Amino acid sequence: MFWKLAWRNLWRNRTRTLLSSFVIAFGLSALVFVDGLMEGMTVNMVRNATDTFLGHAQLHRQGFRDELDVKRTIADLDQRIASLEQHPDLERWSKRVLSQGMLASSAGAEPVLVIGVDPKRERDLSKFDEGIRDGNYLESASGNDMLVGSKLAEKLELQLGDRIVLTGIDADTQEMVQELFRLGGIFHMGTREMDEAMVLAPLQTLQKMLLLEEGVHEVAFRFSNLDRDGFPQTPVMLPVDDRKNKLQLWSELMPALNMMKEWSGVSMSIISIILFFIIGLGITNTLLMGLYERMFELGVIKSLGTTPWQATRLMFYEAACLGLVSVLFGILLSILFTWIFATAGIDYTGIEFSGVTFQEKIYPALRWERLVQYPFWTFGFTMVASLYPSWKLFRMMPVEALRKRKF
Amino acid sequence: METVIATERLNKKFGEGDLQINALREVDLTIQRGEFTAIVGPSGSGKTTLLNILCGLDLPTSGEIRVSGKPLSSMNGTELSRFRRNHIGLVFQAYNLIPVLTVLENIEYVMLLQGISPRERKDRVRDFLGRIGLEGKEKRFPSELSGGQQQRVAIARAMVSEPDLILADEPTANLDSETGSQLLDMMRRFNREQKMTFIFSTHDPMIMERATRLITLTDGKIVQDERRE
Repeated sequence: MFWKLAWRNLWRNRTRTLLSSFVIAFGLSALVFVDGLMEGMTVNMVRNATDTFLGHAQLHRQGFRDELDVKRTIADLDQRIASLEQHPDLERWSKRVLSQGMLASSAGAEPVLVIGVDPKRERDLSKFDEGIRDGNYLESASGNDMLVGSKLAEKLELQLGDRIVLTGIDADTQEMVQELFRLGGIFHMGTREMDEAMVLAPLQTLQKMLLLEEGVHEVAFRFSNLDRDGFPQTPVMLPVDDRKNKLQLWSELMPALNMMKEWSGVSMSIISIILFFIIGLGITNTLLMGLYERMFELGVIKSLGTTPWQATRLMFYEAACLGLVSVLFGILLSILFTWIFATAGIDYTGIEFSGVTFQEKIYPALRWERLVQYPFWTFGFTMVASLYPSWKLFRMMPVEALRKRKF
Repeated sequence: METVIATERLNKKFGEGDLQINALREVDLTIQRGEFTAIVGPSGSGKTTLLNILCGLDLPTSGEIRVSGKPLSSMNGTELSRFRRNHIGLVFQAYNLIPVLTVLENIEYVMLLQGISPRERKDRVRDFLGRIGLEGKEKRFPSELSGGQQQRVAIARAMVSEPDLILADEPTANLDSETGSQLLDMMRRFNREQKMTFIFSTHDPMIMERATRLITLTDGKIVQDERRE
């Protein structure tokens, strides 16, 4: 009977209940949508970062990334690659030489990060080949073609075929060494760091220039069968006795991206709390208005012998009915909103964020467990929000309520 | 005879200081089972206050009240609710049915609180609907009934749980005289047949005519207590 009473009471003021329900449902769907958007954005950013250049994991000599010391080439390279090739989900890998240097043209000189790559392997791992705006991608691991970022090319006023001189420090004597290259192509990756200060050169040419022999500084790996966060499902690790090298996943290589991912969780919690608070106030207001409107009637109900606890139960049931209707409505709205945007996508293309440029539309990713978690919390907050009106009803003296009208 | 309700030196004051009003003064009252009592008096004489105190809705400033031997002064809110549920039937001037419940649900509401089984509730409601002439209307909502019909339902709600005492505050005030007369006859019939005890607060001469006892209140004091058969 109390459930029936609560349900019917709820629909006595249909407009108010529908409005309140819509506010709760809209708040819930906004939460689910924003969560899906952040998830989609993070997935997109991680994919962009790992697909563009980073890979899912990289192997370096211990300490190399701290100072980019050219001497610190990977120890026991072939064995390490051979052991990592045993990983069931390894798709491909690419060796790289990395060095800081100075690139000079007839128009000036700029500091650069030069990366020596094997073009065939690199083509499968990164997206430099897709980013070529002018000219061609590298054809072989030797030769003197060089690829330059678009902004760097502008600064150095470079045209295809121009001669450019790379100055670096060799790994053997630490002496300055120079090599003449020819501009074979200009890439545009959309990321400031890459377009302003990164150049690609054939691996063997750079190894020769820097006196590295067969040595490389970095091996980037791509894996399949990733988990939802972009990590290989099967752990990737070096032999325990390898203290010379270090294998890092993308989250360590791009801590800003990982931090952003973690912060998106914190942001969602803050947004959720604010939204739940607003929803809670709305519910309290709705229930209180209903309480004050029906004060006399509730006085009658109590005077008939309804105990304070039973009256409180009635208010709880009303809140539960409102919460349940709103949550169901909210779940439908959430699915609808997310589906619309997940189909059409949101165009952030070209915008750089946390060092990563969005290169494709963002598609909100609905996590189905969110359709349980957020509605559960919304319902919970609805019940918490009903505490105050319930307490008012508990304390209400029937005789006071009845004095609102003639007995 | 069995005493249903007894008050002893009942006082009720509202307000404080110069604004204090003595709504009831030293009211000693004993009601026996089966009485059909009307409390009369001018507006402000304390009739409604007395009824509120008799059913435990309000507390006296001083004095004691016992209903079916139970002192009300020692009861907390929940105990008073249970006391009203099990011992008192209330009939209001404005019917005060629960608008979202049907006739059947309104009548069975108190029995539901009492924990009576659904089957017995339904049986009793059907029986009462026949007695108050509202067969076939159990699924109607109060808004679909006339004032007289609503008051019949309110009376059924008050009586169906078989309370010791039915308190009715001006139950005919909102009804035309013919409907009021019919309802009073019905209540009088229940009073005679089932020995149900009724206390009315009223200005209505029709109630006064039918009352077996007429208590006159003036300025919160019983100034006349007349028994009639």
